[in-house]
Amino acid sequence: MLPEQADILWTYMTLAYTLFAFYVFGNVVQHCRENERVNGKLWGGIFGVFAVISFFETVHMFDLVQGEQITFMFQYQVLTVLAILLTWGIFFKSQDIQNQSPPIIRAFFFWSTVSICLAGYTNWLPQQRSDPPPKAAAVSEDLTMEEFVEMGRVIVFGAKQVAGQKSIGKGQCPLCHTFDPGDHIGRCPNLFGVQERSEKKKDEERYQTHPMKIGDPEPATGIVKGTPDQVPEEYRRAGSPDFIGEDYLRESLMCPTCYVVKGYGNDGDTKSPMPVISKPPISLSPVELNAVIAWLQSKDTPGEFANVTVPLPTAGSTAEEAPAEDEERPVFVTGNEPIQDMINTLGCPLCHTIPGVEGAMGALGPVLHEKTNAPARMKDPNYKGSAKNTKEYVKESILNPSAFVVFNEEAGEAYPDGLMPTTFSEMLSVQALDKLVDFISQTEAPPEG
Amino acid sequence: MLGKQTRRYGTLSLALVMAFAIYLMPAFVTDAMAKEAYAGQAFAEEAFAKEVLAEEAAAEGEGEPEIEWGQDVFYKDWEGNPLKGPVSGHPAPELGESDYNNYEFAPSRMILWMANQQHLYFGSFVLAVPIFCMLIEFIGIRTKEEDPIMSAKYDRLAHDLMKVSLTAYSWTAILGGILLFTFITLFPGFFKYMAGIFRPVMHVYALMFLAESGVLYVYYYGWDKMSADPFLKWIHCSLSVLLNLIGTVLMYLANSWATFMQAPGGIDEQGRFLGNIWHVIHSTLWNPVGVHRILGNIVFGGGIVGAYAAYHYLTAKTEEERAHYDWVCYVAMFICIFGLIPLPFAGYWLMKEVYAFRQQMGITLMGGIMAWLFIIQAVMIGLLFFGANSYLHNGMSRVKGAHRYMKYAKYMILLLIVCFTMWMTPHTIVMTPAELKAMGGAQHPIVGHFGVMSAKNTAVNLMITTTVLCFLLYQKANKKITVPWQTIGNCWLTAIFIGAAINIIFLGVYGYFLPANVRVGLSVPQVTTTLTTLFVGTAINISMFKDSESYGEIQWGTQSKVGTYAIFLLAISFTWLMGLMGYIRSAVRLFWHVTEVVRDNSVDAYTLTIGEAGKMLTFNTLFVWTQFVVVFWVASLTVKKGAAQEPEAVPVPAQQQQ
Repeated sequence: MLPEQADILWTYMTLAYTLFAFYVFGNVVQHCRENERVNGKLWGGIFGVFAVISFFETVHMFDLVQGEQITFMFQYQVLTVLAILLTWGIFFKSQDIQNQSPPIIRAFFFWSTVSICLAGYTNWLPQQRSDPPPKAAAVSEDLTMEEFVEMGRVIVFGAKQVAGQKSIGKGQCPLCHTFDPGDHIGRCPNLFGVQERSEKKKDEERYQTHPMKIGDPEPATGIVKGTPDQVPEEYRRAGSPDFIGEDYLRESLMCPTCYVVKGYGNDGDTKSPMPVISKPPISLSPVELNAVIAWLQSKDTPGEFANVTVPLPTAGSTAEEAPAEDEERPVFVTGNEPIQDMINTLGCPLCHTIPGVEGAMGALGPVLHEKTNAPARMKDPNYKGSAKNTKEYVKESILNPSAFVVFNEEAGEAYPDGLMPTTFSEMLSVQALDKLVDFISQTEAPPEG
Repeated sequence: MLGKQTRRYGTLSLALVMAFAIYLMPAFVTDAMAKEAYAGQAFAEEAFAKEVLAEEAAAEGEGEPEIEWGQDVFYKDWEGNPLKGPVSGHPAPELGESDYNNYEFAPSRMILWMANQQHLYFGSFVLAVPIFCMLIEFIGIRTKEEDPIMSAKYDRLAHDLMKVSLTAYSWTAILGGILLFTFITLFPGFFKYMAGIFRPVMHVYALMFLAESGVLYVYYYGWDKMSADPFLKWIHCSLSVLLNLIGTVLMYLANSWATFMQAPGGIDEQGRFLGNIWHVIHSTLWNPVGVHRILGNIVFGGGIVGAYAAYHYLTAKTEEERAHYDWVCYVAMFICIFGLIPLPFAGYWLMKEVYAFRQQMGITLMGGIMAWLFIIQAVMIGLLFFGANSYLHNGMSRVKGAHRYMKYAKYMILLLIVCFTMWMTPHTIVMTPAELKAMGGAQHPIVGHFGVMSAKNTAVNLMITTTVLCFLLYQKANKKITVPWQTIGNCWLTAIFIGAAINIIFLGVYGYFLPANVRVGLSVPQVTTTLTTLFVGTAINISMFKDSESYGEIQWGTQSKVGTYAIFLLAISFTWLMGLMGYIRSAVRLFWHVTEVVRDNSVDAYTLTIGEAGKMLTFNTLFVWTQFVVVFWVASLTVKKGAAQEPEAVPVPAQQQQ
């Protein structure tokens, strides 16, 4: 579900709870009719009120979006249900009625409690959303070699990195390969020193003959082994037809079965399990493939690009950039972005002035000088939140903006409540929230002069 | 007239059928296990011959060959080259905005997921119930002479199940219609492509549905009439076999769409159909998914029937009813566990085929973005073990003589808790850099050791072994063993279980000293050890029951409420787990409608976070059970009506019977 839509689970639960409330009302009325000694008006009235309350809670739930629904559900509706259950029990006990709630109710609560606990468990685990790789677009300007190599690194590892986890980019290489000396996961060869090995590869006897000879075509890809001048035109290198290290790397990516490192193939090392990188599902474009080669050639000598032989792409070449439809997608930041990017993505500068963030000059909300303002606000008699220190205050303000509405002294009235979105919990990972809180907690008015 | 002579003929016919089935079995098995070879030899020859003819025609100057040839994305010829086939369809479309429709209230993908999952749940149930009915009715027929009361009980159970299934069948068809309309209205571009490829299969599917309905109605409505005559009763039972056969074909046809989407075959890289519909149906995951689903259906169906019986047990008004539904719970759970044991092996087969198709798809499942979902699966399996053991422990209390073994229950529960904790310890978790630094690395220095496969394999094998032990104790709870070799038998049983535990733990510890690629191989002897306890242990246990005396009959109808709720827990866990594994299988396509052929260009092409998926799974679980309650209630109306019309059939209260 998108943040602006209702949540299917909570919508379902609210309907179920209201049905339950009406069921209880009916059950109590039935008991009252069967037992003359029971005060039907009193008990019917009590449970009727519960049913009406529950009904209006459900109606209200339909006006909320999913972030608000969960809060409302656990703050109000679950409490209502618990109150109904408790009162129902009191009714049975006080009126000494033996024929109590039928098993269907007990089964329903058992069922829903276990199921919701399972949903809760999945929400407790680390959350990571995977977006599809972007489609091809044109390189709009010339790149430096450093930027080009970085582009290759991002294709391999992805721009986002999560602490404690191996990050994987569009190329999906780290699923099987390792890149540091001594690192080995047993799936595919370690690529440390691959640039050096690639230069000598054409002279190796195994390369020349295994699993096919130089000059033989590989049927699945159509690549002719060891012949750079017969590589499909869009991927082909310009210049001499001699087989150099770059050609070996390109061949390995476009035709993994042309050469299989000993012990890493299937069917007696005659077939590589590696996908063809220029074809689906990975489908690197020629520029991307070259960027990966550039990174492979330079990764063992950080900052040195002398070994890189692939040319830089020119303006108009096909590369990848963020898809246009990104704007329509729900906003989400992981915390791996630079803080400025995070804040811009979240849209904070539209309303707030934030020192240290370029262009953050918004005036719809308070100026964020939280290092100095937060301690004072927590002491404000109107403050109803629960924060004990600046960081807690900032976090509370992000997740629950209505906890304290700042007074706009210039305008002589409070800033409008409800203007700030309450869906930041949906837009931020835990790591991103911590990072944002750390930053905002340190904001203060720039020194005068 | 149709007495002993009929039985003799019946036995003879049955023997012939069995012999023929055994004769056919290698052919089916070979087919299932060696489809590449099959494709390489049978179809490649055909395709090659066509190609040669086309080339010859071209060489003879009859102009350019009219047939265009494409290379299959999956099938290979005998030399390992991609199989060629005549292009017989349009290329896969590059889907754009106009190929997707949506409502404002929910993403199309969620609506489709819901429609699909609900249909699958019901489909699974209505395919499983005829399997139960077939088995139960057969047992009822076979026990008729020895124990007519028990036989009638079996027959009543099978009939009751079928009655519920009949209502569920219509419901399944309605949900199928909703699913179809959802596809057509929300994903028209994609559905057009699929319909273009699977056009004949879809028609056959519809016809099979018709056949299934016909057989089902004859089977159900002819029950009483055909029960009167022994010969007709056998015919009736045979109808259930036919019903299951048609149901299985239906399921396999529907599976082919899903398996094609995940691992296509019979098309070229552009998605053009290459003229052989069998290749498209028989893609690489077709067989393992089919087997996995049959077993899954049995387990899921068992769970539903168990929950249905457990609920009726709780609401039963008479002792007779309580005893009946307690017994039904037991039968359902037995079937359920029976299906559960081979399920992981079908899962392994499926994963093996996934890895064989695309290694990175397998790694995405087990080590990539889907890996956490497998941790959740582990937790669910842990819940299943707890539920099953809890049911058995509580069930023992109604068995006379069980007090001898009840004292071991607490140790088994303790072992389960320890193993479950190890089983669900994650390898690494997402942390902030500060947390990472505080812990000294991605793995905790002590707890981290329990997050690796060596520990997990050990834990799960010990859990299964404990469950097997629990089951064996349950089996012998009311038996006084009298065979002269009972001491030796008990010693063997003890030795097998202690030996198994030592071996499993030793292999687990040994795994820490081996490199990862060698360590993987240790899971085989560990599983073998576990299976040994199951098969050898059960065989010895049952052998010891010969001439045994009974401490007393099982007191059906005295199951504790905790044991009944354990069945509810099992049912919830199965439902949720089935949804989870279905989601994993489907979501591993990532941003493809058909892997590597039709890209998902909708706004919903992203892979959900675990939390979003979890909420959807919970919703699907609750929603389908709401529907099951309605279906069971509708089915119960016929009973009430019958009871109202036939006052003599009202159950006599137990006190009056006495």
